[in-house]
Amino acid sequence: MKVDRRSFLGLGIGAVAGIAVSPVGAKLTDDFSIWTQNWPWTPVPPDGEISYDRSVCNLCPGTCGITVRKIDGRPVKIEGLNTYPVNDGGVCLHGIAGLQYLYDPSRIKTPLKKVNQRFVPISWDEALAMVTARLKQLQEDQNPEALACITGSAQGSVPGLFRHFMAAFGSSNCLAMPDLESWLVLTATTLHGPKRTLGFDIDHSDYILSFGAGLIDGWGSPVACIQAMAGRKQREAVLVQIEPRLSNTAAGADKWIPVNPGTEADLAMGMCGVLLKENLFDPKFAQGFTGGFMRFNAMVQKEYPLDKVAEVTGVSAADIQKTATAFAQAKMPVALPGKGRGEGAQSLKEFAAIHTLNCLTGNINKKGGAFVKPLPDYLSFPDPVLDDVAQKGEAAEPLAASVQELVARIDQSDKSPVEVLFVYNANPCFSLNDPSRVATAFEKIPFKVCVSPFMDETAMASDVILPVSTFLEQMEDVPSKAGLAASVVGLARPMVKPVFDTRSPGDVVIAVAGALGGGVAQSFPWDNYEDCLKQVAAQIWNPLTRKGHVIVSGRPPAGSVETDFSFLAENPDTVKPSGDQEFTLIPIDNFRVPPTVPAPSPFAIKTVSDRIIKGTDMFVEINPQSANHLKDGGFATLTTPAGSVRVRVHFNDGIMPGVIGMVKGLGHRLNNRYVSGKGVNINALISPTIEPGSGMDAAFGIRAGISKA
Amino acid sequence: MSEIENKTEHGSMDGATAATAEDPKNDTGLGLGVIFFIVAFLICFLSGWLLFPKLLYSKHEQPFNFDHVLHVEEAGDCESCHYLRDDGTFSGIPEMASCLDCHTDEPMGETKDEAIFASEYVAKEREVPWFVYARQPDCVFFSHAAHIEAAGMDCKTCHGPIDETRTSRPYEENRLTGYSRDIWGKNIWGIKKNSWDSMKMDDCAVCHVEETGHKGYCFQCHN
Amino acid sequence: MIHDKKAHKYGMVIDLDKCTGCGTCAVSCMSENNVPFKEDESDKKDSITWMRVYRLTNGRPFPDTEVVYMPRPCQHCGGKGDHGHSPCVSVCPATATDYGYDTGIVSQIYTRCFGCRYCMAACPYHARYFNWWDPVWPEGMEKYLSPNVSPRMRGVVEKCSFCYHRYQLAREKAYVNGSGEVPEEDYQTACTTACPAGAIVFGDLNNPSHKVHQIVKPDPHPDRLNPDVVGKSRNPKVFRLLERLGTNPKVYYMSEREWVRKMGDHYLDGEWDKVKNVYGSASHE
Repeated sequence: MKVDRRSFLGLGIGAVAGIAVSPVGAKLTDDFSIWTQNWPWTPVPPDGEISYDRSVCNLCPGTCGITVRKIDGRPVKIEGLNTYPVNDGGVCLHGIAGLQYLYDPSRIKTPLKKVNQRFVPISWDEALAMVTARLKQLQEDQNPEALACITGSAQGSVPGLFRHFMAAFGSSNCLAMPDLESWLVLTATTLHGPKRTLGFDIDHSDYILSFGAGLIDGWGSPVACIQAMAGRKQREAVLVQIEPRLSNTAAGADKWIPVNPGTEADLAMGMCGVLLKENLFDPKFAQGFTGGFMRFNAMVQKEYPLDKVAEVTGVSAADIQKTATAFAQAKMPVALPGKGRGEGAQSLKEFAAIHTLNCLTGNINKKGGAFVKPLPDYLSFPDPVLDDVAQKGEAAEPLAASVQELVARIDQSDKSPVEVLFVYNANPCFSLNDPSRVATAFEKIPFKVCVSPFMDETAMASDVILPVSTFLEQMEDVPSKAGLAASVVGLARPMVKPVFDTRSPGDVVIAVAGALGGGVAQSFPWDNYEDCLKQVAAQIWNPLTRKGHVIVSGRPPAGSVETDFSFLAENPDTVKPSGDQEFTLIPIDNFRVPPTVPAPSPFAIKTVSDRIIKGTDMFVEINPQSANHLKDGGFATLTTPAGSVRVRVHFNDGIMPGVIGMVKGLGHRLNNRYVSGKGVNINALISPTIEPGSGMDAAFGIRAGISKA
Repeated sequence: MSEIENKTEHGSMDGATAATAEDPKNDTGLGLGVIFFIVAFLICFLSGWLLFPKLLYSKHEQPFNFDHVLHVEEAGDCESCHYLRDDGTFSGIPEMASCLDCHTDEPMGETKDEAIFASEYVAKEREVPWFVYARQPDCVFFSHAAHIEAAGMDCKTCHGPIDETRTSRPYEENRLTGYSRDIWGKNIWGIKKNSWDSMKMDDCAVCHVEETGHKGYCFQCHN
Repeated sequence: MIHDKKAHKYGMVIDLDKCTGCGTCAVSCMSENNVPFKEDESDKKDSITWMRVYRLTNGRPFPDTEVVYMPRPCQHCGGKGDHGHSPCVSVCPATATDYGYDTGIVSQIYTRCFGCRYCMAACPYHARYFNWWDPVWPEGMEKYLSPNVSPRMRGVVEKCSFCYHRYQLAREKAYVNGSGEVPEEDYQTACTTACPAGAIVFGDLNNPSHKVHQIVKPDPHPDRLNPDVVGKSRNPKVFRLLERLGTNPKVYYMSEREWVRKMGDHYLDGEWDKVKNVYGSASHE
């Protein structure tokens, strides 16, 4: 017997046949096909018991109630909370994407300090010690007013704690970023006296005259406004939208009146003139008019005749007359100020002129009208304990009336009057006009402390970063703001343990105060923020924790309101877009691109049209009638007095000829590749103009030129 | 075969071998081939049947032994621990919290397993990392409520007499798919004697056709 | 009772006059269904959005321009004659997508799909998306994924499922309650519940007590002129997309505005005027 080819063949065939009739083939085929369906890198989310937990969203001024769906305690979905007085079950895309902020790649995971232009992780103890040492130095130098603080909004206990800290330290330089609420407070203060704000009962009004307020584009409390607009047609309430571009609000309105950008104040004055001239104002309410109503009347008749207003605004005299008359004759009319979302650069003159229309019709503090409300005062902080140094600082004049004015002060001085700066929940290096000037001014400040959950442009410009929790990881009172008729305070509760080594911002302030000792420490008699919140919000604490929210005021405020016309009677100048080029560049507030803080979520960016962002390119809108040689989709160079960028052109019939629109809130530069580097920050193209009388930046747009690139 | 072809064919080969192969009386090569065939067949067949399953599955012991008989005696039927939640979802293997309804960190009996449970898990507040024999893959939605409540089925139909076990058998995991061996079934041929012997989609379909007349639509059981 | 004996026909009607184009439905859908995202999502052809919001304009110059937004989920076509032969189901060689005759919902089973993309070619509504890449979540972000919807892998097609997992969960609840019937409010899609304008109404088109049935008033009989079309709305404001194809979508749209309704299909010159008064959308000559 010899081993030959055939015997090997037999071996091979035998092996194959043996395996073929064994279960190996069938089983492996099955297993292999299953294997291809279950790649080990495809995540398998763990299953478990479903539960729901309620809280309040704190991402924007909307303050919607939310419910968080959890699987074995792990949050998987955010939805609107039914019966919550602000949003009753509704919710917006940014709130739903809240969980993306929790695990955002640009979250700051641990305290950081800047060493040679790079951030180095440090412990909380070291970070707090660094901050405390700087502050002690200011106290030793008897210079407490060189501490400044910028907060995102002014409402609620956390901004309140920052203000309380500043007061106890002896500095009056605590400023909030310009949001809709701050403009409304300023307007109410100017026209009706201090400690008031405005709310608008758009749910019940039968004639809404909106001067560019993006009622379905994110104005005010976005979900509440969208719900009010959804019910508007059934109520047969009229919406007239006045703005240079066919926004979504304008598209859904009964009438869209295009107006030359920046002339809204003049138009409102013109309409006031019509009401005064034709005696269409409410004489009973006018009894409360003080402070130069007669002067105002005379000034309006003289300075804002119909034909002149028509020429300036681009709205026909007949349209002005007709709209003003219809507004005055409606049963429950309301006029709304605040272009787009109503935040950032706006104009006090414009707000005041528009609200004067409300005052003239007398539909104030009545159903369907404008409410002049006292500022919510559910918080009672103890009086700060001032030592000698603090008293000296307190006596010093505040440096500025607005953040933009503060930036200008620092920018113009050789040595910054501010030596230490706190920034909490704000991104001035991105969201103010001319952010590069903000950055330059920041560089002059020797020590900047950023209290933020995200590594945004301002955090990157800071020296020490104290990472704080997001709204899903901590407790905080969330007062409604931004033009709602009702005042509601909600309670945000921790939905999940902090994902990173972060603390609640309230705890950070209390810790710094404690470490400083002296009067400052005495002014903060609390162990932690929860303890503090319980005490300062004592008057509503029980219902707040039981129900999750408290309606501070729901009905129209009682009592008569006086109206002071002295600001408008002087006819302050309207801030016009600066420059002399052919076009006017205006920012567009797009619902899907969120307000400035925080930056957009990956989901939100995903919904943005490819006619706004394509790759990293930014589109601008222009009417084909005024496009000259530009091509739809083509590249162009956009130039303003503040700078020049390469953009792509999107033809939109819904924008006034001569106007260029660019979406606001894009062009971030952050450590988040899903969001960063996309498009252009329009703020970089607009130079600020401080409005006389308000001290605020009122540069909503700017003159611009565009040419084929 | 012609001379030339012969030469060509064997040109590269050993002449002697070629000669024996040519010789019809000398066909032992074929005989050897048959033997080789049989040997190889048997080796491969047997190893495919007996060795292959051992290689295909990795074995894991449960964290400690669980005596179902004892627990059924003490706690009652299956639903005492494996129940439907109020929202209709199935609780599956109980979490520590349920165990602690009866257990404390002091052992109730004297078994070694309970001592492990008390010291390693209760005292340390850790969930017991049980291996789940009946775990279906992520793409499967299995509704216990539909089968128990609506169809009135018995746990045993799919899970077997697990209530009669005193010891936890090792968990076997398919190295290729990561599935529990219970899905395909103990029998490597896929032959089942009892209704609970395997839990693949075909097994679901057979029963669904019998009971409802239709094997169901994809989304009924997938997500 | 093992199955509901009565066949459901789940569908929705979207009020385009209420839709604000805010995009909340799209994000609610992504968050509910574990839809991934990647660095650049501006190439909309490969951007996976089960619910996409289109912007429509009337094409007229300033200042007569009008704009509406049209959210587009999977239309869950019933196919010609509403017999369940949806365009995608008919072409799938792997039975990775089928028509649920009990719900009217078109499924998509990712583990079964092998990525030939015939269904995408067959779908007249561009409602199907292909995973050209494996989904990747930034480190830690996979913690928010829901266990009710399987994350997909590279090489498979995915699309809107009318949040079928919510139906599965609602049915479990109904079994435990003993009712066996899923109430209208217990099965609502993620886009419906999220819409801040309340523009989306979802429910059983076969159930006259459901709001969607009351708005749509679907005609139970085949269209007189085109028997392929079934379930045509008897509400003059309501229309379907490309209705004359006979795909019989279960997603209806509603608008007061004629130009919007006209956008629902392609019409030859003068054709619209002949057909517009038949139930608001096209008749089926």
